[in-house]
Amino acid sequence: MSLINELPARGRAALRGMRGTQPERIATPAIARPRAQTGRLWLHLHLPQLALEVLTRGSDAARACVLVDGTSSRRARILLTNSRAAALGIRAGMPLAAAHAMAELTVIERQAHAERQALEQICQWAVQFTPVVSAVPPDGLVLEIRGSLRLFGGVPGLSQRLRQGLRELGYRADYAIAPTPLAAALLARSEPRTVLHELHQLSSGLAHLPLTALRLDAAAQAALAQLGVRQLGDCRRLPRAGLARRLSPALLDLFDRLFGQVADCRPVFELPRQFDAEIDLPWEVDNTRGLLCAAERLLHELQGYLVANSAMTRCLHWHLIDRQGAREDFQLGLMRPGRDCRQLLLLMRETLARKRLGMPVCRIGLHVDDLVFGASLPPQDLFAHRPQEGDEAYAGFIDRLRARCGDEALRGLRLDGGHRPEYAFRWQRPAAVDERQRIAPTVARGSRAQRPLWLLERPLRLDTQDERPWFDGPLRLCPERERIQGGWWDGGQVDRDYFRATTSRGGRLWVYRELRGPGQWYLHGFFD
Amino acid sequence: MSLDELMRCAAIWRGGELSPLATRPTGFAGLDEILPGRGWPQTGLTEFYAATAGLGALQLVLPALAALSRLGHWVIWINPPHVPYAPALDAYGFDLARLLVVELSEQSGAAPDERLWAYEQALRFTDCGAALAWFGDVPTLQLRRLQLAAEAGATWGLAFRPTQAAARASPALLRLMLEAGTTDPEAAPATLEVTLLKARGGRTGRRCQLEM
Repeated sequence: MSLINELPARGRAALRGMRGTQPERIATPAIARPRAQTGRLWLHLHLPQLALEVLTRGSDAARACVLVDGTSSRRARILLTNSRAAALGIRAGMPLAAAHAMAELTVIERQAHAERQALEQICQWAVQFTPVVSAVPPDGLVLEIRGSLRLFGGVPGLSQRLRQGLRELGYRADYAIAPTPLAAALLARSEPRTVLHELHQLSSGLAHLPLTALRLDAAAQAALAQLGVRQLGDCRRLPRAGLARRLSPALLDLFDRLFGQVADCRPVFELPRQFDAEIDLPWEVDNTRGLLCAAERLLHELQGYLVANSAMTRCLHWHLIDRQGAREDFQLGLMRPGRDCRQLLLLMRETLARKRLGMPVCRIGLHVDDLVFGASLPPQDLFAHRPQEGDEAYAGFIDRLRARCGDEALRGLRLDGGHRPEYAFRWQRPAAVDERQRIAPTVARGSRAQRPLWLLERPLRLDTQDERPWFDGPLRLCPERERIQGGWWDGGQVDRDYFRATTSRGGRLWVYRELRGPGQWYLHGFFD
Repeated sequence: MSLDELMRCAAIWRGGELSPLATRPTGFAGLDEILPGRGWPQTGLTEFYAATAGLGALQLVLPALAALSRLGHWVIWINPPHVPYAPALDAYGFDLARLLVVELSEQSGAAPDERLWAYEQALRFTDCGAALAWFGDVPTLQLRRLQLAAEAGATWGLAFRPTQAAARASPALLRLMLEAGTTDPEAAPATLEVTLLKARGGRTGRRCQLEM
């Protein structure tokens, strides 16, 4: 009985080659595990130039840049070059001194911290495509995309959007898709754009990949090279027990995860509560135009973050930092919550055009904590006065003007039932789209002739000649007078006799005479 | 061929009959009479040249502006010389919730072209019924731009300018000179004399006296 039981197991083991020596492995449900994973499909984004791009993406100026691991060392070697430097014949691995001899270069020092931060920011941006995003330091991230394929138009649509989006953030990316995250990473690094949908395709699809793609440590790499193993397929054919003993059991685990025989758990990236991003400018910028490229990248990141949150925002807090660490803050407010990158960029352009930089800037940052959820829904007011599009246009108009002319340039007016002329109205912020309601006049409407259409911000003192007020010649006063008194309770006491007056040229004025003191005449308005 | 026969010929257009623009009544019968299309144009620039403040330039347009505001259109005032006095506007039936004042004074560091930019934005803003601006000498090219913006946004642009600027050519559809009507200072009701300096689709030089 036991013999019959063992036979198929042996047969399986024989087929599997190296598994035969590990009976306890056979007992594990080797088929059940992969099945748990069949649902998943991973897209790995590999950013080969990340270390350099992180530091140069804040500027679109075409300069040849190279990345080194510490400029102080005279024998520093070039790690990465941008396309302009590459066009000049400069290659990675070249000594810096040699490259300097070939062309004028901007040398940039590698900053591991900035890379880690950038990878987080990219993850934050990528959550708009799928909820399962995981960083793969130092230069990649992996997205679970099975559920997103249909929405974004299949593999071609999704990959196109990802690459395009990353280009807008300032990164160049390769991608590959496979049923396990490790396989996707391997393929993205060595055979970009490969798409494998099913687990059983992995053995053949990965067999010819060079072992270097696994990123093993140098000792393991050397040991395998000594064995004459260069490709993944060769390595996988080796007996497991031997491999574990000679190299490390971790290698076996790696293979199991690679081929989906063991679940590969990845920490899922969690969206932070607020948006915080900074870009280091590759060189100091002293005019606002130089900031636009970096601002655009940040706005693209913000848009991704807001889409991922299904949110919008009303206020963007920007800051600029100079080399000494001095910081300048400014805000960009919106009338109506928004997240559209193009619209925000337009406003930012106006804001920056109005701004004067007090210092050369070397870093620009954006912070957003005011998230508005569900703002795309129609307003709660059932009896909204006007259609949505009108409000949209109004908000856009106000935002444009505010961005260019400043917050205080725009004002609305309302009645404020004061008895004294100066207190009969009040300036207010322009009515927001959703808070627009009519303020019932607290005073009965006067006749048109009673009050002037223009009021002087400050009453103008008039000269007098022979007891007659003088403005552009002697004034002719109407006999009726209106006495306005009061305000002793708030310090703005008023004791005046108001008259209508006509100038020699026919202009009609509103003047008053102080009842206190010497009876000085003042001009207070025009009946225009 | 007699002149009458010639005039009956369909191929001949008579300038006075052309009223290319939609208009709205001004609220002053005498003024309606002389304006092309019998009212204020609904779009395009209208220029007002007043010799002195307090003649009644605003009173001339306020009935139309109040009607616009009550219809839910924005009425935007760019750089008014003084404070538009809310109680007086309210007395005209102006819906103050539709009023917007843009203040770009030189004290706040705004360049003159900034004001024109703001004016153009207001004119292009389709929900804006009327945009009022006060400015002096502006190159004809800029005025042309404003005129086009007003047409694009279907906005009535009201430009209040000093009389010296009246001598210069302007692409505005309608230009009015405002003067005190009576020279007799003791005349009880003040009158305003309006002269058409330019009126597309109408006759220039027509004038009327209005009681204010």
